Amino acid sequence: MNEKPEILIGGIVAILVVSSLVVYFLTIRTVGALDLVSGAIIVIIIALAIYILWDRTKNIRKGLPAKDERLTTISYRAGYYGFIAAIWTAVAAPVIADILLGRELEGHLVTALVVLTSALVFMLSYFYLAWKGHTA
Amino acid sequence: MKTRMKELRARYNLTQEDLAKKVGVRRETILFIEKGDYNPSLKLAHDIAEALQTTIDELFMFDQD
Repeated sequence: MNEKPEILIGGIVAILVVSSLVVYFLTIRTVGALDLVSGAIIVIIIALAIYILWDRTKNIRKGLPAKDERLTTISYRAGYYGFIAAIWTAVAAPVIADILLGRELEGHLVTALVVLTSALVFMLSYFYLAWKGHTA
Repeated sequence: MKTRMKELRARYNLTQEDLAKKVGVRRETILFIEKGDYNPSLKLAHDIAEALQTTIDELFMFDQD
């Protein structure tokens, strides 16, 4: 099966991200609101990713493909929504921060917001389209 | 798009999972095609028609609008 290495790599990445998150929260002295929100988003993304891996493994065990043409189309469409979300976050986040907080956002915060928003939009779009059926 | 897949599946005593295995897709894809929520590619439509021993014309009915 070609999908097995992909699932294995996905599982390893999920474990590494969760470990990094645990180490981060154990080593920081004060936990701010931004840490909690970004941590929660990462946990949601990881939970959804683990669900996708489990679902693919279940299909392989039944002798069905892990991914087919419908899921491939859904992945492309969700990827497109994630890309659009990334662009708009990169443009809007500094402007909104300037209006609401009266200061510019640092580069690393904008990067983090772009990554988290696009990943979250990708995951939510993927699940919505997979649940709805997606008429091509 | 309407389809006679469910009727033909019943004729050959095939479950959605059996048909999915025959044409190499996930069971949910068969379900969504039967519900009219997913339009299959021409290749998949051909494979399903072949598995159900019919033609694409007889299997899928396209709405004019």
